[in-house]
Amino acid sequence: MSARASILNRIRRAERTGHVPTQAPSALPLAAAQASGADNLRRFAAELQALGVDLFIEDSDDAVRSRIVALVGSHPVLQWDAAALPYDVGGLFPWALTGKSPRDAQASAEIGITGADAAIAETGSLVLLSGKDKPRAASLLPPTHLAIVRRSALCASMGECFAAHADAIARAACCTFVTGPSRTADIELTLTLGVHGPGAVIVVVGP
Amino acid sequence: MEPSGDFAVRVKEALADAHLRAAVTQATSQLGSRRLLALATLDEADAWRDAARAAKLDAIRTLADNLEKFEARLIANGAQVHWAETPDQANRIIATIAERAGARCAVKSKSMVSEETHLNDALEACGIEAVETDLGEYIVQLRRDRPSHIIAPIVHLTRADVGKVMHERLQVPYTDDPKELASIARRKLRHDFLRADLGISGVNFGVVETGTLCLVTNEGNGRMVTSMPRVHVALMGIEKLVPTMADLEKCLKVLARSATGQKITVYTTLVRGPRGPQDSDGPEELHVVLLDNGRSDIRGGDTAEILACIRCGACLNACPVFRTIGGHAYGDIYPGPVGAIVTPGLRGMAAFGELPHASSLCGACREVCPVRLDIPKMLLALRGVGVKTRTVPSPLSLKAGLKLFAWVASRPPIYRFAARAVRFALAARARRGWISTLPGLAAGWTRSRDFKAPPSKSFQELWQARQRRNGSTP
Repeated sequence: MSARASILNRIRRAERTGHVPTQAPSALPLAAAQASGADNLRRFAAELQALGVDLFIEDSDDAVRSRIVALVGSHPVLQWDAAALPYDVGGLFPWALTGKSPRDAQASAEIGITGADAAIAETGSLVLLSGKDKPRAASLLPPTHLAIVRRSALCASMGECFAAHADAIARAACCTFVTGPSRTADIELTLTLGVHGPGAVIVVVGP
Repeated sequence: MEPSGDFAVRVKEALADAHLRAAVTQATSQLGSRRLLALATLDEADAWRDAARAAKLDAIRTLADNLEKFEARLIANGAQVHWAETPDQANRIIATIAERAGARCAVKSKSMVSEETHLNDALEACGIEAVETDLGEYIVQLRRDRPSHIIAPIVHLTRADVGKVMHERLQVPYTDDPKELASIARRKLRHDFLRADLGISGVNFGVVETGTLCLVTNEGNGRMVTSMPRVHVALMGIEKLVPTMADLEKCLKVLARSATGQKITVYTTLVRGPRGPQDSDGPEELHVVLLDNGRSDIRGGDTAEILACIRCGACLNACPVFRTIGGHAYGDIYPGPVGAIVTPGLRGMAAFGELPHASSLCGACREVCPVRLDIPKMLLALRGVGVKTRTVPSPLSLKAGLKLFAWVASRPPIYRFAARAVRFALAARARRGWISTLPGLAAGWTRSRDFKAPPSKSFQELWQARQRRNGSTP
């Protein structure tokens, strides 16, 4: 008998003898569903501040672009392809590396620029779906991650995000929730930022 | 470092280690209070805990059906699914995948299940270098040590210990600055992430409905391992399921809060399959290895509920026994109250039948458990199994003593007389309100703890006096 068959047989036999308690369903709070866009932005800003993420809120496409230019300066950049970046940010840095660049070159970039497929107010999380023109390396390899978020991408909670983007999440090979800079507290519970992922995260919210 | 065979010996060693006791006390208190603060940030936290509990219990109630559905979704998503009954089978499956991929180096993110199978040793025996990439686990590997806490693997080490092992094994100048130590590890491991052909991860949750694998990390190594190498192998215990994505949210709401006191971990990665045709990076192959290793037996016994554990470690921090002896004394991968149930289940009562007795049954674990597992009840059930199957020594003197007590306790006049006699005898031995040695069979009790001197009046005497004052007869 294959391992699969014998495991499943054993579990089916076990299900007849071993008791699993029942738990009545509980009424979960629905308050988050009533949150307005302004509530979400306020909450998102407060959570990012607590996480140590720099946040810039801009009111026009131009303001987003000038903010990004000022933040990036002349640093080596690894970014999502122009087609995947909002507010025409993709053309700002002709020297930028992309998903097509060799891995070693990508690893030398100092700033990674990405969009965000969604963002979650209650935890200050960025939601990044893998896919065409959206290399995962851009939010992972460089020491600084700069994410550009459309105001309309904000969801109140993870549950709202799962519901609103169910199809897109189901299509993507990988969906990552990024909540603040990479961190560890393994050595004497001392907080240290930037272990394997970016040690700094910057978020620019556009109109 | 292999543990010594006897639980009592390991406990003695742990109690003699003053540094260990200070470090474990500090860490568990800090994690415990962070948990409380984090749960306070969640509206209706108790309702979320109930919901997470219901989700996990639903998943394991019909575990076989759920595994079949999960497997079908995984295959439809492009993953290759492997089943392993034993640690050896799991290791062989992974070694074969590695050889087929021509892998010389494998990077690993934290996986308790791979500790269970001793995967690193198995891969190294096949000439494949396996590198732990979680900072704590990396240091454990450099020291050839064992993790001592589910979520804080090197809680037993000082920064100086870490500095010393990095200096010796990596030929870097000595430092004990945690930030500098972390950045040394970052540079070294970054090199491995970029060259490794194989990434091996654990799985925190497998979503039945969608075939999604959920991994949570704070350092980002989980993302590296699942994104950079050409082949990704996810090794998971068969109990790690939740029915739906909505259920996943319920579990994530309580997991990080209970573990580290965060609202959510820095990286929550949902892996659905290998890279799509248009993706610019990500692994070309995704393998999922489903390991039984005794879990189906647990499902059929008195402790089936423990399969709903989400491995947050909150019960370790709350347990007065864990806080005193630390993790290594438990002798295997899973320490603390959860370990005292899981370890005898996975490794057998013969070797680990004493663990369910390493509890005062105070219930602190049940109180903090995010999915409200009735841990004390399961510990008691396992003690019963130990006695019934005679895997735990129950000396004749204990049996005779309990019989005698039952005989006395069911005869009130004799009980009252005996209780008074014992109280006088004990009072005579007390020094400043404490008794530190008892004679005869009772000596075992005072070998590791003091006994409080009895009060001058018993509860029954106080009660009778009170009834007399109130003018009624008892």
